[in-house]
Amino acid sequence: MSGLDDDYDIQDPIQHENDEDDNEQQSPIRASGKSRGSIYDALDGEDEEEEDEDDEDEEDEEPGRDRGRKRAKHRHRRNTVNRFLDVEAEVDTEEEEEEEEDEAGGDEFITDLGPEGDEDDVNRRAAVNARLDRRERELNEQDLAKIAQGLHERYGRAAVRYTGDMNEVPQRLLMPSVHDASLWQVRVKPGRERDIVFSLMRKAIDLEYTAQPLSILSAFQRDSLPGMVYVEARSAQQVNQACKGLVGVYPSRGIVLVPIEEMASLLQIKKQDLTVTPGSWVRIKRGKYQGDLAQVMDITENGEDVGLKFIPRIDLNPRDDANVDGRKRKKASTGLATMRPPQRFFNYEEVVKVHGRKQVSKRNQVYVFQNDTYKDGFIEKDFKLNALQLDNVNPTLDEITKFSRGQDGADNENPVDLSIIAEASRKAAIAVLQPGDHVEVFEGEQSGVYGVVDSINQDVVTVTAIGVDIDGQKVDVPARSVRKRFKPGDHVKVMTGQNADETGLVISVTDNLVTFLSDMSLQEVSGASSTVNSWILISSQVSVFSKDLREAAEVGSGTNVVGNYELHDLVQLDLQTVGVIFKTERDSFRVLDQNGQVRLVQPHQIAMRRNSHRAIATDSEGHELRVQDNVKEIEGEARKGRVLHIHQSFFAFLHNRDILENGGVFVTRCRSLSSLAPKGNLVKSGVDLGKMNPTAAGGAQGGMVGSGAMGRGPRDRDIGAVITVVKGNHKGYNGIIKDINGTLARVELNTGNKVITIDKQKLYRRLPDGKLQPLSMPYHQHGQQRNMGPPAGVPSRTPNPYTASRTPAWGSGGRTPNPFASGDGKTPAWNASSRTPNPYVADGGKTPAWNASSRTPNPYAGGDGGKTPAWNASSRTPNPYSEPSWGSGGWGGSASPARPADSSWSSWNAPTPAAAATPGFLSAPTPAAYTGAPTPAGIMNDPGSMSAPTPGVSGNEDDHDSDFGLVLRDPLIANKKVVVEIRGSADAGWHDGDLEFKKGYVSSAFATLSEITALFHALDSPGSPPVHVPTIYLQPVQPDEVEDHALVLRGNHKGKHVVLRESAGHGVWKVSQFQDPEAFAIDEESLVKLYHV
Amino acid sequence: MAAIPPQARSKQLRACLLCSIIQHPMDFRKNGCPNCEELMQMKGSPDRISVCTTTYFDGIIAVIDAEASWVARWQRTSKYVRGMYAVRVKGRIPEDVEAELESRGIKYRPRDQSDQD
Repeated sequence: MSGLDDDYDIQDPIQHENDEDDNEQQSPIRASGKSRGSIYDALDGEDEEEEDEDDEDEEDEEPGRDRGRKRAKHRHRRNTVNRFLDVEAEVDTEEEEEEEEDEAGGDEFITDLGPEGDEDDVNRRAAVNARLDRRERELNEQDLAKIAQGLHERYGRAAVRYTGDMNEVPQRLLMPSVHDASLWQVRVKPGRERDIVFSLMRKAIDLEYTAQPLSILSAFQRDSLPGMVYVEARSAQQVNQACKGLVGVYPSRGIVLVPIEEMASLLQIKKQDLTVTPGSWVRIKRGKYQGDLAQVMDITENGEDVGLKFIPRIDLNPRDDANVDGRKRKKASTGLATMRPPQRFFNYEEVVKVHGRKQVSKRNQVYVFQNDTYKDGFIEKDFKLNALQLDNVNPTLDEITKFSRGQDGADNENPVDLSIIAEASRKAAIAVLQPGDHVEVFEGEQSGVYGVVDSINQDVVTVTAIGVDIDGQKVDVPARSVRKRFKPGDHVKVMTGQNADETGLVISVTDNLVTFLSDMSLQEVSGASSTVNSWILISSQVSVFSKDLREAAEVGSGTNVVGNYELHDLVQLDLQTVGVIFKTERDSFRVLDQNGQVRLVQPHQIAMRRNSHRAIATDSEGHELRVQDNVKEIEGEARKGRVLHIHQSFFAFLHNRDILENGGVFVTRCRSLSSLAPKGNLVKSGVDLGKMNPTAAGGAQGGMVGSGAMGRGPRDRDIGAVITVVKGNHKGYNGIIKDINGTLARVELNTGNKVITIDKQKLYRRLPDGKLQPLSMPYHQHGQQRNMGPPAGVPSRTPNPYTASRTPAWGSGGRTPNPFASGDGKTPAWNASSRTPNPYVADGGKTPAWNASSRTPNPYAGGDGGKTPAWNASSRTPNPYSEPSWGSGGWGGSASPARPADSSWSSWNAPTPAAAATPGFLSAPTPAAYTGAPTPAGIMNDPGSMSAPTPGVSGNEDDHDSDFGLVLRDPLIANKKVVVEIRGSADAGWHDGDLEFKKGYVSSAFATLSEITALFHALDSPGSPPVHVPTIYLQPVQPDEVEDHALVLRGNHKGKHVVLRESAGHGVWKVSQFQDPEAFAIDEESLVKLYHV
Repeated sequence: MAAIPPQARSKQLRACLLCSIIQHPMDFRKNGCPNCEELMQMKGSPDRISVCTTTYFDGIIAVIDAEASWVARWQRTSKYVRGMYAVRVKGRIPEDVEAELESRGIKYRPRDQSDQD
């Protein structure tokens, strides 16, 4: 105790008192307090009462660290004092009583010994008395008024009247002056600002009465200034001292003085004022409803809780065990892995069905289910304000309409007021205004004025008015009262939002809502015209807020590509699921999976892109089905479409622009499809080669053909490459590429037996001679090695015979330096192929049938009908698989000397008129056998094969069925009186086939909605009126005699009117232009006969 | 001297709508507001605490020397006890308190910085 007293001596009396306050409860010197009380009584009448309250306060006080320490100290002291006494408590009370007596008694007892005092006691009491003495002296010296003030400060606070005396002073008078302490900015660890401010406070309190108290005046932190704390102090040194030893403070990074004029603004920083008003839109930040849009219904008085209304996500497929046991359910539902149920309006019947009647109770108009209330299908729930996102809510039209549609799908009687969103978006609209924008003033004095934005100065927009009487004048209007103005016909570009970067033509404008026709879809239409005749242009109409639009000259670069994936890609979502991208959004896709479900997928959720180019399946009739085929459903809605992808030979993803749903993509089973364009002849009788061929048959059933081929082919030619890592952690390591996905490669390192995933950019190919070269550089040896294997992907991709528009099939190949050309004749293509297990070759396996067919028309036609995959493969795609086995050898063989042995072949090679016009081997002269020929579509589309006197073969190429129509529409060729023959009309039932085989010339061709028709003038009845013939029934007639007039269909001489001068070999003519002696050679198939009088 | 909340991160911390002092709700319940208890009457009344204080505040000031500090003066807290104060407090005091202030002729200044003069 004496030690304490010593401390007191060096402190001023007020603090002295304070400390004693703290002590008096635990310490035995209650008496001193009392005695003091008597003094105070004289000074202040309220004291007694106040003290009581104070005591109470202290009793309530939490057992803080300080107090614990003090108590320990006391106890310790007491122990030393009364070390010889048994019962501490007894002594304590005694002591207290004694002391009370003592103090009441006054000074005269100083030297007296107490009745039962010992030596220690005497000393102690002497000390106490000395202290009292001293204090009295001090008190006397002080001004009484000052004491009163001190008291007031100490005790007055609990009952102090709130005066608000500071409130009258205007804020500007509180601006800091040079006499005020400065603010210092201190860098701290981001996220620890609050803790540091608290630490500084505690530190200041702790060190207050030490030799080195902190001399800072305050410290503060703002949430909007992360990583910084501001300390108010007279000098940087003081700040440094205060920050010393605190974790997370970086005084070494500079203690920066805040300029005096900036001090106030630090405290004035306002967060974007986020007010919630009933009716406004917010988003939920966390939990099951994360990101969901909600509408504010009410707000509690203090603005913390917000009543929201939004679309519930009720799990209608709870785990089976969920209903059994409440506990289990809880476990299941807390698991994060569980997918959140889709947004769906609350439906009493549905919920009761799944969760049982007990779970749902009804009160008035409101259902209660799992502690949530549901009204009109919406869930109504209170949220904390800080669990909500108030800014950048940007509700989309979709969401709003969903909201307004309400529970029953019908329009609500009180649809959501779009003006709220408009209001919210208007704020943002200011930000997107730019000089040059056409705007319209829609409120205020100038309402109705429109003009061009001249300049923008914060919230004031200067508009150069257009029209009316103030034309040309500049008007200042608040930015919020103008809106961008568009009129139908404007070409616009979306600046922000989901449809960003799309461009299009404005169709209609309603207030803030602009509907435009997207360019993107238009482009698609024109781009895809080779596969369709002519579709009605149903492009998606997009509605956006006008604030998001700008006038734009360019056509949207808005691509259909996000990441490595693009529209209509077949993508693998997980092991079981694949899907087709039918819509690309800004950074996500809408994918239709094979089960017909639509998913919103981020690029990273896609495992890989699948390639189904080589996939085949069989349709309902057992015919082969391939990607790009035009098909229709035989059941259900009988939807038509083009095959985008085939999955596992079972699912077909089709695309039809006419269908609005899912961007025209839908999924169906291959077995329920039938080909739209007849393939070959649609013989039902006849020999189905597929059945004869185990491989093909297998393919039809299990889909082994397509997938097998895919499985064997490497997806990337770099797989297997020997590489060296040239960058990154593994720099210098050698390895082998095991797999490639996008730009990432999985590399098996030679050392460490480790597989790493690494960016392809960091890999260089290691050549056998030890040199390195980038992966992107072609590596020939590699390709050659590959060539030996069946999946000789590489070379086939480059010299695409098809693009040269010379179908290899047609002898022409023999003359072009293409891979099909020469080798085939010499290679025993047929047999070879029949022996390889290549699925395509499986077709080759039919060789015997082949030959047979050439003699017996029927089976051949059947085979021709495209049931053998190989066929089409070769003719249509530059398929590497088909190449070695097929080599189109059979056909091209005609050019090689080896073949002519076969009379039937030679017959059609020979450019004899008979053969050309009616290909002998196709048994054209025997119409009965000619069943294969009338495959109208086929003939049309491939002008190359047109010359080919084998309609059956060209008939395979059904997917190009519109080609000839397009050729006729070609400006170079149109209106040139091309001679054609009507084919395939009988099968299709067009004019009952009356005009079948009629020859005539086309005077003009034009596109209608669904097809291209040509004005056909029959040759044999010149006087008869012309007939409109769909071009799919037209087949060009090739010139076959010297002096025939012809038109060049393709190549350098395209569109030239030539005259046949002499034959230059198989299928090639020397021709010259009409009045030009200079002759050049040209393929027969590139020519079409001209009607020349 | 106000009770300094033990945990700075606590989501429960509440700021008085009138004087902006930050305390743990427990402290408000035990001791009321150290500055304006006379008006707010929060002691022992959780209901009053919930209407007179809020968790929605921004910025924390450690007022160490209230009299000398310009920050405290700017915040009009220099006559108040030492403690933690909020820079900005969202919300208004209950109407009864506002009426009482008015009857005493005291100007009420909301602490949401909505009116600066």
